[in-house]
Amino acid sequence: MQGQKLLVLCASFCGAATGYADHWSFAPRTQPTAPKFAEGVPRDWVRSSVDAFVLARLHEKGLKPAPSADRRTLIRRLSFDLTGLPPTPKEIDAFVQDPAADAYERLVERLLASPHYGERWAQHWLDVVRYAESEGFEYDNVMPGMWRYRDYVIRSFNDDKPFDRFLIEQLAGDERKPGDADLQVAAGFHRLGPVRRNAGNQNVAFSRNEVLTEMTDAVGMVFLGLTVGCARCHDHRFDDFTHEDYYRLQAFLAGAQEHNVILADAKTKAKWEAVTAPLQKEIQDLKRRISTAEGADKERWQFELKAAQSKLPPPLSALCTVREVEAERSAIHVLRRGMPEKKGQRVDPEFPSALQKGNLPAIGKNPRTALAHWLAHPEHPLTARVMVNRIWHYHFGRGLVATPNDFGVNGSGVSHPELLDHLANEFVRHGMRLKPMHRMIVLSNTYRQAGAPQHAEVAMARAKDPENLLLWHFPRRRLSAEELRDAMLTVAGQLNLKAGGPSVVIPLEKDLVGLLYDPAQWKVTADVREHDRRSIYLIAKRNLRPPFGQVFDQPDLQTSCSRRESSTHALQALELTNGELANRLAKAFLKRLEQQPGTDPARIVDDAFLLTTGRLPSAKERERSIEFLREQPAREFALAMFNLNAFLYVD
Amino acid sequence: MRSRRDFLRRSFCGFGNLALLAMLQDEAARAQTHDPLAPRPPHLPNAKAKSVIFLFMAGGPSHLETFDPKPLLNRLDGQPRPAEFGEARYQQITGDARLLGSTRRFARHGQSGTVVSDLFPHLATCIDDIAVLRSCHGDMVVHSAAQYELFGGRTVPGFPSMGSWIVYGLGSESRSLPAYIVLPDPQGALEAGQPMYMHGFLPAVYQPTMLRGGPQPVRNLNLPPGVTLAQRRETMRLIHNLNAASLPAGDEELSARIRSYELAFRMQTEAPRMFDLSGETKQTQDMYGVGAEPTDDYGRRCLLARRLVENGVRFITVVAGGGPANMQWDAHRDVDENHGRMAAKVDRPIAALLRDLKQRGLLDSTLVVWGGEFGRSPEAQDGRGRDHHNLGFSMWLAGGGVKGGQTIGATDAIGLRAVEEPIHFRDLHTTILHQLGLDQDRLSYLHLGRQERLTLVHGQVIRGIV
Repeated sequence: MQGQKLLVLCASFCGAATGYADHWSFAPRTQPTAPKFAEGVPRDWVRSSVDAFVLARLHEKGLKPAPSADRRTLIRRLSFDLTGLPPTPKEIDAFVQDPAADAYERLVERLLASPHYGERWAQHWLDVVRYAESEGFEYDNVMPGMWRYRDYVIRSFNDDKPFDRFLIEQLAGDERKPGDADLQVAAGFHRLGPVRRNAGNQNVAFSRNEVLTEMTDAVGMVFLGLTVGCARCHDHRFDDFTHEDYYRLQAFLAGAQEHNVILADAKTKAKWEAVTAPLQKEIQDLKRRISTAEGADKERWQFELKAAQSKLPPPLSALCTVREVEAERSAIHVLRRGMPEKKGQRVDPEFPSALQKGNLPAIGKNPRTALAHWLAHPEHPLTARVMVNRIWHYHFGRGLVATPNDFGVNGSGVSHPELLDHLANEFVRHGMRLKPMHRMIVLSNTYRQAGAPQHAEVAMARAKDPENLLLWHFPRRRLSAEELRDAMLTVAGQLNLKAGGPSVVIPLEKDLVGLLYDPAQWKVTADVREHDRRSIYLIAKRNLRPPFGQVFDQPDLQTSCSRRESSTHALQALELTNGELANRLAKAFLKRLEQQPGTDPARIVDDAFLLTTGRLPSAKERERSIEFLREQPAREFALAMFNLNAFLYVD
Repeated sequence: MRSRRDFLRRSFCGFGNLALLAMLQDEAARAQTHDPLAPRPPHLPNAKAKSVIFLFMAGGPSHLETFDPKPLLNRLDGQPRPAEFGEARYQQITGDARLLGSTRRFARHGQSGTVVSDLFPHLATCIDDIAVLRSCHGDMVVHSAAQYELFGGRTVPGFPSMGSWIVYGLGSESRSLPAYIVLPDPQGALEAGQPMYMHGFLPAVYQPTMLRGGPQPVRNLNLPPGVTLAQRRETMRLIHNLNAASLPAGDEELSARIRSYELAFRMQTEAPRMFDLSGETKQTQDMYGVGAEPTDDYGRRCLLARRLVENGVRFITVVAGGGPANMQWDAHRDVDENHGRMAAKVDRPIAALLRDLKQRGLLDSTLVVWGGEFGRSPEAQDGRGRDHHNLGFSMWLAGGGVKGGQTIGATDAIGLRAVEEPIHFRDLHTTILHQLGLDQDRLSYLHLGRQERLTLVHGQVIRGIV
């Protein structure tokens, strides 16, 4: 199985590569035209250019596309894909009954216009930029107001902000309009990596190098789609990215320094400080005493410490960004084996040698701005390709390049090279806005295919392309951790749809909080209604990840995550049967089911299936459920519904 | 350089590329059967160890007080470090610090005559099973980064820990217990926090299970309040029946999910028995120091580790130390007070663990690893304390095919720097993998375009260890 997958990938990759002077992704985009089809090819199936490119590859391999999925399947697929939330039974009904020819198109428009679209697609971006609100390592301090970056991303997606602008704001927003808080928040991008701080002796050069390494690798992975990190220690073994290139790229970032801005006015600030300073002093004193004390004294002081910590007011309104300090710009040297004590030649900002084609912006006094403009240029060979591939990846579960952060030679290669360039060209033509790309993709017949086609040639298709690389059916996927939690909350009627603002800290078991070096950092949000907000608003703290997300493959926030795993294991089953959240929500779900008119168990079962899976139960499912309800507690039935494959997966 | 890259690229475009990709993805494919925890054969023939118990001495125990006596250091007590020993960078103390002699008494033990200090009288009786490594070193001198390096081979968080890598490589031998278990110190957490134990970018199935004290050792293993086992069995049956009713023929992924519920149910009915120490004889419990202070807590956790190994758990970390510095081996202020207290908690339990594993015939297949994220400075801090120190320190290995009764490597005459047969953390990692029959190159996972391994730079198997 694996061997065949490799053959397909290698064949396509090498085919593409021989056509270019250099590695394909470094070369300018081609202008492919949609293939034309002869008689005998199911060309009626082609609704859009996307379909033409997909059909051409299918036809080459003697495969044919699956028929369209039914409307129930489509609305559930689209709702999760575009908003991360399940459709309501009313929405399903309206769509299924809609006689208009453009019912599907209107559904797509409604979902793209929903504020929940931004919440869903921002999460993808937050994965890629390894968004977290705390610094990690020993102190794991919360970065002031970092949640504003999350809201900035959500807003940008909802506004369909052109990607070039989005990119420039994050790389150099602070330089665009000095003092503009929104743009400063965007430039908080450079602060998103983990930061090691330590007490005692400081190795300033070493620490600065760690920070610059994080910043440089992030730019490489997020925008260039290249693992430039390899070149930190040596020439990239596979890509045309040299050891010098790495440090020249780093030199663009050498002037960026941490900058936290207090947004509160002077009066509020003074008042805050007056309350906080004595408390901080008391806390330090108590900590010192506790460290040497024993017995009753220790207990008393620990109690007092808790009391003092709970009296601390919430942090002042602030934001977390960078600023360019020319006088403090780090001298960048090529470092042998990446070690700060092994300095080679000094380098200035310079675009990577293999990508110096076309007109290059002048670097001048604001190197970060120059870097941003270079990357945002519509003809940049990587930026548009990397971004459209990410979009494709999230729609289909796999990118045309299956390694979205690696467009280098060591990456997966590209399954549909012409389609990738075509999408990138369209992306640029549409002003680098995402919504036109979503439309192009989800309106295609490729996207509308059934997940598990029943036609006669399925066995043959499975043998030829077991991994469905060529998309002969829609790839089913398991809900992500966030979708699953949000869907459970929705189904149970508990989801709090409040948008934006400071992150929510949900209660966790004491022993889990005890895994924090300073458990007092986990200050549970007082208002319990906040605990049921969408998952994207839960605090992203590096040193303590809530276990629900952890068992369902939520990334660990330490490194960029361009592709989530989708694992299947017993801890997930335990979470969904014995877990506190599942059981609490099962109760709420049952209550909701019982509030509907009618006590007929068949009615309860039908409603439960509609809410969780978007469809009615089969006769067999209904019969088994009713049988269960006759003997067993209904709450257990509600719990079982969260454990249905038809709930956990999107077809 | 250019021509080499060109050559590589060209050759990779033909058969070379295929072979390379095939090699690189082999491990992922091995793990990608529909049961990612199915036991898998090791890469190498003659693997000795099946399981690992890592006795993690958090905070960094002093080599100078435990396994590495330095008469010259005692003679130089109170003096500055002579220039010929070279430079060192510490976290807290600076150039004006003075050397601190050790007050511990060292003696030779066992047939091998291995040197152990008076901090470990019980362990000394097992010394012929132990290979002391006197020349360990790491790259970082602060806790969090050093802990990440010890557990995951990188000085930054986000990389899989040894336990996750090993389960990814070998799968699980147990059908009712998690394969990778951490027993944290109930006193408190460590600087590197949760990320140190985690699976990083590996699939979530390779994450550790954190065992806790009290009546619910594993999260979600107990039924929710008000639900009986008989009831729950019916619920599990309903889940099974409903999922089976809509299962497309030959669908392996959904079948795997159905099976995961069976395993979950087996875990919750069978695992609690394994966490219950009451079935152990009084004699065994006494041997571990269960029921007596100060050994009760660590004794319980060591005894539990033995039970877990017996039941096929692959990797177990038993942490000693947690919370503020002085509750770890982090003896900044008074090394005698701190180490006396910490050693008294662990000495008897560890000796009992080695003896118990041996008498049950489990020591040959269980690699026991002892050590912290670094050692301690030859210089004094705050009077009689010692600062962190990463340039040379001691760890030890026992069982799992390791030849006991030997001392490997050496630090210089004041214990500042590993000078003979230096053993970096990567060498320790390579050796652990090797004893399990795993090859550091083949145990890899494609992440962000890099074929990641436990070791960043190639490690060497410690010479003379087998």
